[in-house]
Amino acid sequence: MVENKELIKVVEETVSRDDVKYVIGYKRGTYGFQIKPAFAYSAEDAKEFFYSPLCSKNLATYPLLEEKLPLRRGEEAEHKKIGIVVKGCDSRAIIQIIQEKGLEKEDVVLIGIPCKGVIDPKKIAKRFPKQSKFVDVEENNNDEYILEIGGTSHKIPKDELLSDVCKSCEYPNPPLYDILIGEAEEEFQPEHFNRVDELEEKTIEKRWEYWEKHFQNCIRCYACREACPLCYCKTCMADLLEPQWIRRSVNLSENTAWNVMRAFHLAGRCISCGECERSCPVNIPLMELNKFVEKEVKEMFDYTAGLDTEEKPFLGSFRPDDPEDFIS
Amino acid sequence: MKIGVYVCECGSNIASTVDVEDLVEQAKEFPYVEVSRVYKYVCSDPGQVLIKQDIEEKQLDRIVVAACSPRMHEPTFRAVLEDMGLNPYVLEIVNIREQVSWVHDDKSKGTAKAASLLKGAVLRASLMHPLERKKVGVTHNALVIGGGIAGIQASLDLADMGFDTTLVEKSATIGGKMSQLDKTFPTLDCSQCILSPKMVDVNRHPNIDLLALSEVVEVDGYVGNFKVKIKKNPSYVLADKCTLCDDCVPVCPVIEHDEYNQGFSPRRAIYIPYPQAVPASYLIDPNSCLGIDPLICSKCKDVCGPEAIDFDMKPEIIEKEVGAIIVATGYEPYPIENIGEYGYGTIPDVISGLDFERIVSASGPTDGTIRRPSDGKIPKTVVFVHCAGSRDPSKHLPYCSKVCCMYATKHALQYKHLVHDGTAINFFIDIRTAGKDYEEFYQRAAEEDQVIYIRGKVSEVFQDGDKILVKGADTLTGETVELHADLVVLATGLMPSAGTKEIASLLNLSVGMNGFIREAHPKLKPVDTAISGVFVAGTATGPKDIPDAVSSASGAASRAAGILAQDELEIEGTVAQVDEDLCRGCGLCAEACPYSAIEINAINKYGHALRVAFVNEALCKGCGSCAAACLNGAINQLGYTDSQILALIGALGEE
Repeated sequence: MVENKELIKVVEETVSRDDVKYVIGYKRGTYGFQIKPAFAYSAEDAKEFFYSPLCSKNLATYPLLEEKLPLRRGEEAEHKKIGIVVKGCDSRAIIQIIQEKGLEKEDVVLIGIPCKGVIDPKKIAKRFPKQSKFVDVEENNNDEYILEIGGTSHKIPKDELLSDVCKSCEYPNPPLYDILIGEAEEEFQPEHFNRVDELEEKTIEKRWEYWEKHFQNCIRCYACREACPLCYCKTCMADLLEPQWIRRSVNLSENTAWNVMRAFHLAGRCISCGECERSCPVNIPLMELNKFVEKEVKEMFDYTAGLDTEEKPFLGSFRPDDPEDFIS
Repeated sequence: MKIGVYVCECGSNIASTVDVEDLVEQAKEFPYVEVSRVYKYVCSDPGQVLIKQDIEEKQLDRIVVAACSPRMHEPTFRAVLEDMGLNPYVLEIVNIREQVSWVHDDKSKGTAKAASLLKGAVLRASLMHPLERKKVGVTHNALVIGGGIAGIQASLDLADMGFDTTLVEKSATIGGKMSQLDKTFPTLDCSQCILSPKMVDVNRHPNIDLLALSEVVEVDGYVGNFKVKIKKNPSYVLADKCTLCDDCVPVCPVIEHDEYNQGFSPRRAIYIPYPQAVPASYLIDPNSCLGIDPLICSKCKDVCGPEAIDFDMKPEIIEKEVGAIIVATGYEPYPIENIGEYGYGTIPDVISGLDFERIVSASGPTDGTIRRPSDGKIPKTVVFVHCAGSRDPSKHLPYCSKVCCMYATKHALQYKHLVHDGTAINFFIDIRTAGKDYEEFYQRAAEEDQVIYIRGKVSEVFQDGDKILVKGADTLTGETVELHADLVVLATGLMPSAGTKEIASLLNLSVGMNGFIREAHPKLKPVDTAISGVFVAGTATGPKDIPDAVSSASGAASRAAGILAQDELEIEGTVAQVDEDLCRGCGLCAEACPYSAIEINAINKYGHALRVAFVNEALCKGCGSCAAACLNGAINQLGYTDSQILALIGALGEE
């Protein structure tokens, strides 16, 4: 359990360091169960920081959005660190970005949070569709979420609101952090990502039908890309015009091309935070694609993304004994 | 834009399966096509003239030739374009022979396939840009890594051609494995007698800088301009002062196994590898000497008249600039102790082929009398086991080590010549005698010298009293064979040496399944590697006998000289190009590049240090791996840009 007092204290201390520019964390939102990213530039700003099972958002996207404005001649770039509040998966995203040289470890201060899983905002919004005022949620020791709406206390079994990816999470604790808030969570043997297994049992035709149904709905808003901490190319291939890999028209063919391309570009890189799926407005089960690729990568090449900053990127490593039976 | 299309009949090679007239007519409708023609042999001189005339009269600026593989005539047609003042890279060749007419029977389908390939090529050609061939200077020096017979030959050849050559050898003397051999097949001339004159030549050649006890630790740069760091390990004896008087040896209290004699005789901690060693100098084995650190003993230093011993000698790093590198890092024998059933290492009278070389050698531990290691008796029955470790894909080396049949035959023959009443028995799977006079040599051993050959594999070897029980099968009669021998000699297979593996990884050379360095082409470029400017000689690419090793060394030297003799090298224009605005500096391309041609460097972008990929065009081979690896298309392969490939695919996808 994360004590907000302790979190605020750590953020206050971190942001007061001379070498830290600001700290990114969570604050309470203004609507329903939505939380907001918070940026603390001073100890005063830290007071609004909080952490609860609602804090699903992966904040690892922010350091890469840092704008680098042109400097005047003679002016030197400021090399200050950015503090970030990270859960297990968020920390793995940072590790993966460091591995890909998008950041250096020196660029960030990681405030680690042992995570018991986050609430899927879609599931909770469905449960309380009319809630317009912000409500915080707590987790008790009985695997239940507790929340109070209009003086009525609700107890909801954790399983009903928990984000699907969290059910198969192998890394609740941040593998990389500078400061850890509270005690590390017990590592548990997660259940397999059942949705992939279920899908794999279907015939190819059925699977294709399934994806066709979902891709048909895609509106190509690219929310998945924007929420993903590892979609940080300066210009996405989907936006290139010369050559134009994917046409802008929204139809099944182009939608399929986009979603499949993204899944491939995340091979050996996706760290299963589930942000793409949670942010998708048309409920495409994107983590089924990502988890499928993750499983293939793990089984064939014994590779797991986002665990070691020194490891070679998956797509850049080659071993003579790599399996080749998929080439036929 | 005006595109000229030329369809080749290639006699009936293409015309029999592709309706060339129809193809030419279809091509006239393709975008930008100004002229479309068919000719019997476009590569012939009149065919070339046809293209030249059209370029001049019709002002063509892109040429598409539908003929055989570009591997055949791309240079021919590029020269045609250059002759007419066009850039050689605005040429596209469509392979309608190997990829269409030779692999299909149905003429109408063949024609349709050729037409869609041709359309793709025309669309691709319309997106082509002239490319530039850059030039780089050349350092006229060479580096040879490894001082075995191949390295020696390559160094001598290059030095004789006038190139300054650095020969780096890891051990204290050059000569390699050949120096340990007693006699060479099939002529039975003395190995050391034919090798040592070459070793002496290396030593006194004014163009050769011999660095023994040295290792290459770092290689930077590219063809024509390599920068090499060599670590020279200390010998603790000043070669220029040492007079080779041998006074130091008797006083040394440390006794070690002598590597040169395969451990069958002793040496001291201060020693000379063997009398003919080059450079001729004593050295101290730092692992066993009591004087290096801490200084407990200095007996050798005390007796050394010319004061040649220096315990304080330190390793030094020598830097060299060279234009070409020859890798001649050789082989090592397969560790036959891995073959448990043959008892090597546990039964003293089971020895390896190289052990036998020393035992039979007049300069060896037994002064040329064949004695077995356990009790020094002269063995009366000797079993030679072929393929010890070789041709055993399930457990040991999968390949044939090429020389074992011949050297085991040589050993049997040598044994029979020295022990007239002895019996020599060879167990073989097949006898492979492919080489000049090799078959005759084998026949002579079997017929004139009564060496017994049994076709079959030895299954197990046991110690049985003071004899060795050898169990095997005779696969010709189908019977099991059991016999008692006094000595068993295992014809050990060859595997890449540790040095070969180290250098391959240092230079980023690709290696095959078995760890041997892979040639650029197994048949047509047998001494080139995938890295330009790096060549390979001797057994580093696979098992070879001495004549093969020597000729590959001369081949490698002559290929290297082809670079060293130039003042400037032209680089292919089809190299990778980075779009700095798209590149995010992740380095995936650098990891994917098999030629180490990409580095990630920081550039100054409005005051911010920005990491982007940088392609060294001299190293880039244009393979496109980087372009494929890049996640957001920030690398393009010039001559094969994404847009061009997409146009090609688009045409192929049309109904």
